[in-house]
Amino acid sequence: MLALKKKHRVAIAWAQDANTVGALGKAVRKGFIEAVLIGNPSEIRGVCRSEGIDEKAFTVVDSDSEENASCEAVRLAKTGEADIVMKGLVGTDKFLRAVMDKEKGIMLPSAVLSYVCALQIPAYHKLLFITDPAVIPFPDLDQKVAMARYAIEMAQRFGIEKPKIALIGATEKVSRHFENSVDYSIMCKMANRNQIKDCIMDGPLDIFLACDKKSIAIKGVETPVDGDADILLFPSLESSNPFYKGLMLFAGGELAGLIRGTQKPVILMSRSESEISKYFCIALSCLMA
Amino acid sequence: MVLKNLNDLRRLVEGGPRKKLVLAAAQDQHSLGAIIKAWKDNIIEPILVGDKEEIESICQSNNYDITGVRIVHEPNIEKSVETAVRMVSSNQADILMKGKIGSATLLRCVLNKEWGLRTGNLLSHFALFEVDTYQKVIAVTDVAMNIAPTLHDKIAIVNNSVACLNRLGYKMPKVAVLGAVEMVNENMQATLDAALLSKMNQREQIRNCIIDGPLAFDNAVSLESAQLKGIKSEVAGDTDLLLMPDIEVGNVLYKSLVFFAKAKVASIILGAMVPIVLTSRSDSEQAKFDSILLAAAACR
Repeated sequence: MLALKKKHRVAIAWAQDANTVGALGKAVRKGFIEAVLIGNPSEIRGVCRSEGIDEKAFTVVDSDSEENASCEAVRLAKTGEADIVMKGLVGTDKFLRAVMDKEKGIMLPSAVLSYVCALQIPAYHKLLFITDPAVIPFPDLDQKVAMARYAIEMAQRFGIEKPKIALIGATEKVSRHFENSVDYSIMCKMANRNQIKDCIMDGPLDIFLACDKKSIAIKGVETPVDGDADILLFPSLESSNPFYKGLMLFAGGELAGLIRGTQKPVILMSRSESEISKYFCIALSCLMA
Repeated sequence: MVLKNLNDLRRLVEGGPRKKLVLAAAQDQHSLGAIIKAWKDNIIEPILVGDKEEIESICQSNNYDITGVRIVHEPNIEKSVETAVRMVSSNQADILMKGKIGSATLLRCVLNKEWGLRTGNLLSHFALFEVDTYQKVIAVTDVAMNIAPTLHDKIAIVNNSVACLNRLGYKMPKVAVLGAVEMVNENMQATLDAALLSKMNQREQIRNCIIDGPLAFDNAVSLESAQLKGIKSEVAGDTDLLLMPDIEVGNVLYKSLVFFAKAKVASIILGAMVPIVLTSRSDSEQAKFDSILLAAAACR
């Protein structure tokens, strides 16, 4: 469905775990990326052997530590030698420190660092984008606006011109006791005034009203999202993270996610994520590059 | 139904029973003049509470014929206010009007917990302007009473005004929440409150009206301005009620409309058991008359 115009070069920091190398091997075989594996060459060779992948499929760059491998991956992206950066067997904090370094990092100037996921859920009729399940614990208004813009941009890359974005709360009512409902009201007006462009936004909405037309009919709430949301914006990490993990565990969900706010796409996944999820992430990053 | 001018208010009172208006501390020439005229025009039935001698002497020297008007003699000013307010709370009168007393004294009595006119609602000022340059009358709130309303206060002010407009025949009045700009700006609290009021309206937490805001003044009253800016709004250019961010903006707008645009204005206090006519001494007799007319039309 998504035609990629060119082959993208992915630089992987500390690419020494089976799921990462396996996913990269598959993407290289499919022909849409070239991969630069940064780490201990003998470890990398060992993983390739046990995964049954010819190490010649990859470029291997020698590095002596997680930190240095992260810096090298970011450097390659910054100089244009790579289009995408990916985290291997590195701790998230060490990896992000390299990405966010003021001089050597690849943050966009004064951008908000956030995370957008595309979720495939058998019980929903289309892909569902969610933000932010990984980076910002309690987003303020500015961060929520940035999150919305990132998610809209990603949905558009999937061909959804004017995505429907639901701002998720526990109820659809506005109350000054629920700070998020206050932010949401302000955001809806911003969308209305075209300060947030190219979307149909409504909130607060609970997940039923956001994703289920039947609930709309029962509750009689008028909402332009109309139970047909493309994007769910969550009020906190603590609400979004269990949401997606619950779907993965109990509802057969699959996901692909990306860091936003960087000059080049950055793939950051939990080390325990499956090979197929990592593969989807690589594909997604190529789409966003 | 839409009111084109203040005189249209007469249609709302015609035919119905005349509302009883009680004037507190009635020994006030300007108020008496307006009241007598409204009485002669069959708009209200006056009750005058105050110093009977003074009232009669004012009427005599101004040629006001008050034959048949009920006068309740109470020379003490504070007591005359109490008597007037008690008449309203015991359903003997439908409208309260301020005579020769300060607004603070009157309002203190209105808010008396035992015999006052409290409803639990916030009191707010509601003004109706007739300006040649606008296609209909335009209501403005709050230009005189609430100094720096919080969001909570603004909700109450809108509810008061919308209930009044509903009684004046507006089924779904269009409410513009005024800002300096039509964009949401985190540094301008008025624009944030406006966004919240819009959403609460959309969620039917504020009913019987259509709210949009922030709207800058030009967008609120001129469709052309709104279109030039590309604003999509059911309210822009056709506002029935303008909600002010605070008293300073409101008061300046009110006075510029009167002085520069030669607007006619009628105003009342809402939120009590009945409409209260609380015009200031500097208001013209016409403004007092129109305010009485508005109060009569706004009665339940």
